Amino acid sequence: MLGFGYNPAVAYASLFSGSFGSVYSWAESLANATPLILTALTFAIAMRGGLFNIGAEGQLYIGALAAVTVSLIHLPPPLHIIVALAAAMIAGMLWSLPVALLKTTRGVHEVISTIMFNWIAHFFAFYLIANVLTDPKRGEKTISIAETSRLGRILPDASLNYGLVVALVAVVVVLFLLWRTTAGFELRATGYNPESANYAGISWRKQVLRAFLIGGAVAGLAGAVQVMGRPPTYAVLSGMPQLLNLGFDGIGVAMIGRNHPVGIVFAAIFFGGLMVGGRIMQFSPGVPLELVRVVEGVIILALAVPELKRMFSFLRTKIKGRG
Amino acid sequence: MAEQTAISPRRAVQNQVLLEARGISKGFPGVWEHLILDHIDFDVRAGEVHSLLGENGAGKTVIANILSGYYGKTAGEIRVKGKAVSFTSPREGLAHGIAMVHQELMLVPAFTVAQNVMVGLKAPNLSFHLQQVEKKLDELTAHYGLQVDPRARVEDLSAGEQQRVEILKVLFHEPEVLLLDEPTSLLTPQEADQLFVVLRGMADEGKGIVFITHKMREVFAVSDRVTVLKLGKMQGTCYISETTEDELTRRTFGETVPDYMERPPVKFKENALEVQHLVPKGLEDKANTAGLSFALHKGEILGLAGVAGNGQSELIECITGLRPAAKGEILILDRNMTDCLPRAFIELGVAHIPERRREVGMVEQMFVAENVVLKDYRTPPFSNHTVLNHKEITRHTEAIVTRFNALVPDLWKTECRILSGGNIQRLILGRETWRKPPVIIASHPTEGLDAKAIRHTWELFLELRENGSGILLISEDLDEIMSLSDRIGVIFESAIVGMVEGKGADREQLGHWMAGGHSPAATA
Amino acid sequence: MELAHVWGILFISLHAMVPITLAAIGETIEESAGLFNIGLEGILLLSALTGALGAEASGSATIGLLAGMGTGALIGLLFGVINTYLKGSQLITGVGINLFAFGFVALLLILLGAPGFHSVPRDAQIQLIPLGVGSLSPLVFVTVILAIAVWWLLNRTQLGLKIKAVGENPAAADVAGIRVNALRVGTAIAAGMLAGLAGAYLSVDWFGAVTKEITAGRGFIALATVVFSGLNPLLALLGGFIFGFFDGFATWISTYPGIKKIIPWQFVAMAPYVVTLLVVAGAIGRVRFPKGLGVPYLRE
Repeated sequence: MLGFGYNPAVAYASLFSGSFGSVYSWAESLANATPLILTALTFAIAMRGGLFNIGAEGQLYIGALAAVTVSLIHLPPPLHIIVALAAAMIAGMLWSLPVALLKTTRGVHEVISTIMFNWIAHFFAFYLIANVLTDPKRGEKTISIAETSRLGRILPDASLNYGLVVALVAVVVVLFLLWRTTAGFELRATGYNPESANYAGISWRKQVLRAFLIGGAVAGLAGAVQVMGRPPTYAVLSGMPQLLNLGFDGIGVAMIGRNHPVGIVFAAIFFGGLMVGGRIMQFSPGVPLELVRVVEGVIILALAVPELKRMFSFLRTKIKGRG
Repeated sequence: MAEQTAISPRRAVQNQVLLEARGISKGFPGVWEHLILDHIDFDVRAGEVHSLLGENGAGKTVIANILSGYYGKTAGEIRVKGKAVSFTSPREGLAHGIAMVHQELMLVPAFTVAQNVMVGLKAPNLSFHLQQVEKKLDELTAHYGLQVDPRARVEDLSAGEQQRVEILKVLFHEPEVLLLDEPTSLLTPQEADQLFVVLRGMADEGKGIVFITHKMREVFAVSDRVTVLKLGKMQGTCYISETTEDELTRRTFGETVPDYMERPPVKFKENALEVQHLVPKGLEDKANTAGLSFALHKGEILGLAGVAGNGQSELIECITGLRPAAKGEILILDRNMTDCLPRAFIELGVAHIPERRREVGMVEQMFVAENVVLKDYRTPPFSNHTVLNHKEITRHTEAIVTRFNALVPDLWKTECRILSGGNIQRLILGRETWRKPPVIIASHPTEGLDAKAIRHTWELFLELRENGSGILLISEDLDEIMSLSDRIGVIFESAIVGMVEGKGADREQLGHWMAGGHSPAATA
Repeated sequence: MELAHVWGILFISLHAMVPITLAAIGETIEESAGLFNIGLEGILLLSALTGALGAEASGSATIGLLAGMGTGALIGLLFGVINTYLKGSQLITGVGINLFAFGFVALLLILLGAPGFHSVPRDAQIQLIPLGVGSLSPLVFVTVILAIAVWWLLNRTQLGLKIKAVGENPAAADVAGIRVNALRVGTAIAAGMLAGLAGAYLSVDWFGAVTKEITAGRGFIALATVVFSGLNPLLALLGGFIFGFFDGFATWISTYPGIKKIIPWQFVAMAPYVVTLLVVAGAIGRVRFPKGLGVPYLRE
């Protein structure tokens, strides 16, 4: 940072106070963390199964648009929200299903297929925004989420909304799934050692489908939550600024959270906070938001090295008090 | 006593010391209970074949790897022709004239023989000497009598031929000391004899040969001197002419291996497992068309003897659901299980103790309790088909750990990765046998275990047999098969070529069948 | 369709082929040695930026290309070292490179003035070679020559044999005296350099500007091309051309009068990615990868 002529001490101080210095900034940090928790879960679930699902990006676009589509029909409040969320999950699953099938039938590496589907979703979303779900009054956005389908704010004047609750529920469900169910057991065993898992009678195909479908559903939720909970527009704008990069950032969050649901929550809050602080920093020392991603990238590169990873988890254990 | 082979009598060799190890020790990181090697002194002289004898886990491979530069040592000194050296890579070893032929084939299957040899050459990066290499290989194969086609792809060669390629690879560098780790593990007895002739020839040329083995017969067939290693410690070096088989056995194993274990006769008539004309998928061209046929009765131990690479692994995979069949039928408890999935076999009651216990038998990164229920987690009381019941799992694991004497620090915090091979096998045995399953497929169940654990395993098998389990025992250790089996079958090129009663079986006859010889009474 | 159109499509395809094929050739070398780098996209992006800046600062397009190559080599070195000597995870390192690149490039573009966009002065761009029916960048020829050269390297030299040995069975290569890790790092650097050249080409040559979306998934398409080519650089030329064709054809056809009404531009933009998917799904059964691909080599 010194290289850019900014005073790092002042920068970090204002970053921190910007992220967590007030109730408002706490709320913003948590609001930012909400979708990240979900996209990180998508990646983490797949990683636990030994798979690389970097398709949350595309899955969340489709999920968001599915939620918008549900606003075309009229339903009473709690039902409307539930249907919208469900539609988003199904949409996300539909988008991740082909990836899983290509892998189990043709052996296509998911790294390549998920990226291709991301880009296809990118353009497909643009098409839907501009041509199918367009707001008749303002062409550069989709129709807004119906009032009955919105996730209410938790604090007035802040972006924080009940989407956070959705994300936390997802965390609990995934936690339970991975360590307390037979499904989670099979997934983890396959992730560690597919050959032994097969020997033990566990079906690899089923795990691939499981990992991608659950991951896709959660990513779909991420998109829905962003659109259903974010004031003031409650719609998807052309160019999808509030959806872009959530998938990729989620990967970073998952890695830093060591692919563990609880770690993910902390990491998401950390990054959510950095983004808030970053935005505020734009007005004081002027260090932009993108720096956050740079930091993310560097941390992950460091995590790629086992020794450093070990040091890192040691720290985490100390902080959290459990393995 | 030892087999007679057409080899000239030995003479006491007092030639130059080519390679010497003094006080070599090695410990592995994280393991503090005992050293893998404890102050080993060893030397190799020109013109001699020096055998390194010891049972599994004694440390023979480790010392050889250190001497050739593949492993590092924790303490001690290595001298080549009197000069102290320190190797950091096999290449340096080669540069000093020390070459090792590993037990595991270190070949690139996709390359041809010549390409495999080329890879090890010191040649400029932009050169391409394939023709010259092929020519020199033609000369070497002729000179040493090692028949192999330099232009053939390694993956198309038989195990015996691949073994020859390994030796050729090393001979290309014209080494002075040759270390061979269990070179006969993939060979038929006849091929092994041919190898001994070749080795003797090399020794007569002035090379020093180190021959690592756990087979007594080979020691007496080919060596001038023998050094015994037991649990990483030296047990002595002496000239072959000055010792006997019994004495060496005592020094190597500590106790003599028991002969046939007495037991009541088989009392069941039904078949636990029956295989009819089975040709595993992938072996269609290598196997003969009649396929594998045999039956395993309930309450019987059927030992399958054979040199590795004759279809044992593929057979096991077929009868446990890990491989489809190209032809034939598999009947388990009279149910047709051909081409079923592993899960179906498990649910029917087929236990499988796999050869590769760490890579297949366990998910190493998971905890002890998780591995103990690796096949049972689906069923009550360990789960209600969806949600796991940790309390029941814990109770069960504790019972298994106690009954099978496994040493584990914690059930839910210890990853199986850090357990010793012996402990892992105990857990696997516990897991596979606690339900007293009707069919048990045991593949090399005692490999790498110490004598006490081997004894316990044998007793367990006899107990299960008494109870009605049919046990199919596959092992490379002919002694084990002969001690344990009610009947012994010999497998050669994916077919059963002989079947006899276990008690009083003739070792010569078995060896003959293992090498592909025929006999009139070759029925199941 | 007139002949001029055919030449037009051909030339666009060749130009679009360059970055894909260059990156794919580099990755072929790397994968032959057992390293799988999904960070190609990040390398492309970063070197597009440094290439543009280098060309601008020096006024010479060649310097820009070299700057890009240097960037790529550096990242390749980092990737190589982390995944060999430091025993890292290849997939995670690749993701780290990508994230870092996305952030860093966007960041720098903001700092340099126009967020998301920065153009390269006209005279610092590569001069095209006029061929009567159109102009072709010299890098097209460079790409073809490199493809042949790398094929020759991998299949007709001792070095190529060593690389393949390291990829197939690192333990065997080690025992044969090859310095496995050093060789792998070397291939990573080479792959980085070629990807760096590809990235710089995007900004200095083809588009004449650098944006934060300039790579548009090309790094991943290069990976798919490697799959399609079965680690044969000559087939990577074909694969790159196929993608380039769809890229170019798609752009061309969207400007053709009448088409715009029938096929919305978004679907046309999707075409290259769909094609890539189909190609990979079709090719993958028939392709054979080195046994040691993606597995770190650890010696006792």
